[in-house]
Amino acid sequence: MFLHFIPLLLAAQSIDSAPPHHAPRTVAIDERLARDAGLRLGDTLVLTPMPGGAGDTVIVAALVRRPRDPSEVARGAYRIRVHLDELQQLVGYGERVERFAIATRGSSGADSALRAIDASAFGFRAFSSREIAVESSTTFLVVSRFHRAIGVITIVASAVFLLCIMLLKVDERRRDVAALRLMGISSGTVVRGVVLESALIATCGSIAGVGLGALVSAFVNWHYQRVYRTPLTFSLVTGDIVVIAVGLSLGLGLAAGWLAAQRLVRQPPLSLFGR
Amino acid sequence: MILSLAWASLVRHRARTLLAVAGVAISAAMLLDMVMLASGMRVSFRSLLLAQGFQIRLAPRGTLPFDTDATIPGATAIMSQLKARRDVVAVSPVLGAQLHVERGAASVSAAALGTIASVQGDYKILTGRAPTIDGEAAANDALLSATVARLGDTLSVAAGFDPQLRAFTGQRTLRVVGRAHFIYLAAGERALALPLTSLQAMEGASRADRVSLIMVRLREGAAVEAARSAIDREIPVVSAISTATAIEQVEQRLSYFRQLAFILGSVSLAVGFLLVTTLVTVSVNERLGEIAVLRAIGVRRARIVEQILIEGSVIMLVGAVVGMGLGLITARYLNSILASFPGLPEAIHFFLFQPRDAWMALGLLAACGILAGIYPAWRGASLPIAGTLREEAVA
Repeated sequence: MFLHFIPLLLAAQSIDSAPPHHAPRTVAIDERLARDAGLRLGDTLVLTPMPGGAGDTVIVAALVRRPRDPSEVARGAYRIRVHLDELQQLVGYGERVERFAIATRGSSGADSALRAIDASAFGFRAFSSREIAVESSTTFLVVSRFHRAIGVITIVASAVFLLCIMLLKVDERRRDVAALRLMGISSGTVVRGVVLESALIATCGSIAGVGLGALVSAFVNWHYQRVYRTPLTFSLVTGDIVVIAVGLSLGLGLAAGWLAAQRLVRQPPLSLFGR
Repeated sequence: MILSLAWASLVRHRARTLLAVAGVAISAAMLLDMVMLASGMRVSFRSLLLAQGFQIRLAPRGTLPFDTDATIPGATAIMSQLKARRDVVAVSPVLGAQLHVERGAASVSAAALGTIASVQGDYKILTGRAPTIDGEAAANDALLSATVARLGDTLSVAAGFDPQLRAFTGQRTLRVVGRAHFIYLAAGERALALPLTSLQAMEGASRADRVSLIMVRLREGAAVEAARSAIDREIPVVSAISTATAIEQVEQRLSYFRQLAFILGSVSLAVGFLLVTTLVTVSVNERLGEIAVLRAIGVRRARIVEQILIEGSVIMLVGAVVGMGLGLITARYLNSILASFPGLPEAIHFFLFQPRDAWMALGLLAACGILAGIYPAWRGASLPIAGTLREEAVA
């Protein structure tokens, strides 16, 4: 059974339903706050809506780990989860909430609930979780487009670099190629030889590149997880990415080798000897 | 003679030289973009903050301006306290809220700023005038277009909804007296400005005598950091943020882009360096005989070094100049991608061209060009003349 959540414009987060008033009020704090402020389970805190103002005494009952939410990554704010009624009272919110999250049975249930809520709503709107996910992931789509553009520039730079290196390598072999041609080796065989060599270089480069990429990726994750204090993964080397990178590298290597070889075999062997 | 020899050596292998120049140009373009990215955001954010001459901003304690829905209580008393300071010239309070403009059965949401027109620094009036009395508002083009309204029209606006009574709350009829451009809002974001007291009244008791932000303009020459520190100490319900600290906090949040700029800039420089070193080294290896002959007829070592260094530098500099143009085009494109960040003020640019950046990129590339020529130059200058001539003759 699939549960579909339909968050509405939001409410403060609550740990559970309102506890009985005679019980000591409890809060859950995030691990980061606990670490930075040296707080432990059972510690007593005073929560106030304003610095120096009157507040409520509460007990730290739980430590919570932040969800892996990329939209939170650059925010250094601490989080405290308080019982809903207590937070409403503390900040003078009355009976107001900012959003509801609703679980329904099945996707059709979610759709019909959306329609029913929107039909009877006044002053609020129901959104499906998918709509909210699309809206909140806009930032990451922009970053992704930026990375793609940088990637294209890098590929162009690599292509020129590779072509230049292949040209130099092939140029170094002018005399060898001239000798081969004078011995009767066909230009097709020479081209194939050069292309094979460039494929070999590209393959070796790709393997080294994948290794280097994996190392850099591990470093990036280690660094940014420390900077932002999050378990999020920032860089991921997947099979698809390796296939694309190796494919591109091989394709570029072969093209560069072929172009360089063509340039060489078009010249008469004697001119390659410098005569 | 040295220049002619260097030039002859470069044009002897045109394709190779052109490819090297193209490679350096792409590296230079990337380097310029990354130098622009590293400083552009800081510069444009700084000029945005200082555009209206306010050096200090007061936000609810522990928050950044408009980062949360929190507000500052007792705004009138705080403003009086600030105005009493000798170093303060102007104090501009701002209340932010979300308003709903009624359009038949539906409504259009818009960001609303309650300000005091005479001291406000959040918007510029394009046509008409700023709202000064209750019942007046200035709207931006996005809102006017969404509501099909024009200057002089009236808008029925509400501060909220009462779902139980199924009625709008904090309703007002506002006359549009001005068309405004909101400096700190994102492009396309619908917004309107109205007098502070009007917005506070519309929002009800929860916003009475409260503001979201107070901007402070200091006397010319006043010590900003000392004033910020004093305000922060004297008014416990606010965090006083100077332009410098605001930039620092934003940079912390967007440190990723600065680090990316540093890494990609370094890689670009390294690629350009490798390319030129390889090319010049191969070129020198091909001309060992020629260099040995030059040495044999009395050309000094320093002249040989000079010639090889010139070759490397010419490739680097020509590539760099082409790369500068290319870099400006790509920067424009990359900036257009990042400008679509949700909520980013229109005036913020991640890639901002400053002549200093171009000079810095050119300087780095020129230094790289010289460094790239050092190894091949040393190799060329330290050739054993007789041995090399014999080897070349045998070959």
